Amino acid sequence: MKEARLIEATLLILLVILLAVASVHDVARQVGVNHRLVADLRTWRQRTGHAYHELTIEQDIKGHSTRETVCGNTSPGSPDKLTQLCLTIGGPVRNGRRTVLGGYYLPPELLDVRANRYGCFGSALSSELCPPAPAPAPAAPSTHSPTSANPRLPGGRG
Amino acid sequence: MLAALVEIVLDGAVGHSPLIPKSPDISAWLRGTGIGERLGYRVFLIALIAFSGAYAGILALVGRAAKGRGSADGGQGSATTHIPVRWAIGLVGALQVIVFLGPILISTDVFSYIAYARMGVVHGVNPYTHGPRAILGDPVYRYVGNDWKHVATAYGPLYTLLSYPLAPLGVVGAVWGMKLYALLTGAGTLLLTWRGAARRGLDPVFALLAVGANPLWVIYGLGGAHNDLIMTFLMMGAVSFALVERDIEAGATVMAGTLVKATAAALLPFMVLARLRMGGVGGVRGLALGIVGALALATLAALAAFGVHGIDIVAALNRDAAFVSTDSFPTEVAHLFGKPGVFPVDHALLKLGLGMVVVYLLACTWRGYDWVAASGWTLLAITVTSSWLLAWYTLWPLPLAAIVRDRRLLCAILAVQVLFVVHQISPLLAPVT
Repeated sequence: MKEARLIEATLLILLVILLAVASVHDVARQVGVNHRLVADLRTWRQRTGHAYHELTIEQDIKGHSTRETVCGNTSPGSPDKLTQLCLTIGGPVRNGRRTVLGGYYLPPELLDVRANRYGCFGSALSSELCPPAPAPAPAAPSTHSPTSANPRLPGGRG
Repeated sequence: MLAALVEIVLDGAVGHSPLIPKSPDISAWLRGTGIGERLGYRVFLIALIAFSGAYAGILALVGRAAKGRGSADGGQGSATTHIPVRWAIGLVGALQVIVFLGPILISTDVFSYIAYARMGVVHGVNPYTHGPRAILGDPVYRYVGNDWKHVATAYGPLYTLLSYPLAPLGVVGAVWGMKLYALLTGAGTLLLTWRGAARRGLDPVFALLAVGANPLWVIYGLGGAHNDLIMTFLMMGAVSFALVERDIEAGATVMAGTLVKATAAALLPFMVLARLRMGGVGGVRGLALGIVGALALATLAALAAFGVHGIDIVAALNRDAAFVSTDSFPTEVAHLFGKPGVFPVDHALLKLGLGMVVVYLLACTWRGYDWVAASGWTLLAITVTSSWLLAWYTLWPLPLAAIVRDRRLLCAILAVQVLFVVHQISPLLAPVT
């Protein structure tokens, strides 16, 4: 009986140590991710010229990539009540910032789902983040390169 | 504890916080105090850690006092400590009431509960075959968590039927109804924990504080109005009946708990085995009668209300068992070994590990180990091996641990909770602003 309790106690302690090491390791990993997210927010603010704090970040959980999508208002006001500009950001952190790969706009008070996005540019065009583009108008040349790593931000809907 | 909780509730009432789900403004009146500020991760985590520290301190104090009295009376155990009972009850009561008055904390689950209820009652849609997406135009839909909009309910038919009377009350009325369910069943669990501890010669004040002042119980369980508290109430009801050998009621109540949330079924084999050991096949007659009777009644009710899908809980559990959360221990261990997450092969290994633990605990129960403690260990093993871990899952074994002599169980649960809290602290070390 005493032996059994000793074995149980040993196994429990070993398990707790494993879980503790895994938890601490995961916290350290998450701290690294947070540093990247801070760089993403800084990038959004720099590229849009808006020093807003009400920004949302969507991580690429399913794809296990380090790409993030940061969304924020196009003009001052309550979150979700105004048109949102979402930027897909990736690459390594350099000087506290990362690279804007693409993005899209989102109308006020609508869910961030593919069907609601518009004004897509950069990687968003090719990565199925946006609905299929309407047939191109004959005299509407693009003002920016969709393949550029740092595409110019198109104007909002208005 | 009180100060930390008041801070969370008042700040949460301000809204626009990542920790407060989008919800109807049920706590606007708290903003009138003008004290709260938008609840950020930093303040929340500091308050959670302060609450947890105070909880550990008070448990250590009460535990030491009880131990002292236990050794003074020859190790017979003691039903009271020198900590004033009124203070303990007052503290626990105040914690439950404060969080009840505040906004819904941390989780959107309560809006899923309401959505499923409104699907059945208001829209005539079966919540066992459709997700809330089926009621896109309903006022509750916008509050349902994104991950759950397409997911049919995994809760037991008894819980779904219990939620139905709240559906016609509107979203705000239903939220208060859900909060009231959580408050009352949480209080019921605490009462049964007190009585269970006293009946087993353990200190009821320690048991009450261990459960009722637990930070995850208060902030996550009650704060989110989770239906897990209904399950723990029925679980503790079953244990209470079993302790006084009212087996029919015990069997029926544990089955009722299972029909709220299937996890409560973890008690069944241990309860049956303990009776079998004590009284042979005849000893389990009452228990079996209660279980079969409750199951038959519930099956008929579920079939009438939801069709065959309402009784197919196993399919729902299999579906949910495949979910993966970042807070789960299997995910953390996978990260430790350089894997991006938990894979199907890992699920199989985890199930095997859980199965081995259950078999070992059944053998221990057969040899005379306390079946209540064995049930608690099983619930703890489920939370540790589950790839979908949420804070309130760690509450399942807590009331059982408070009424068993094997204090290793309580220590193990608290260790798991500490690790859960530690896992939340990265925003404190590297704030994302």
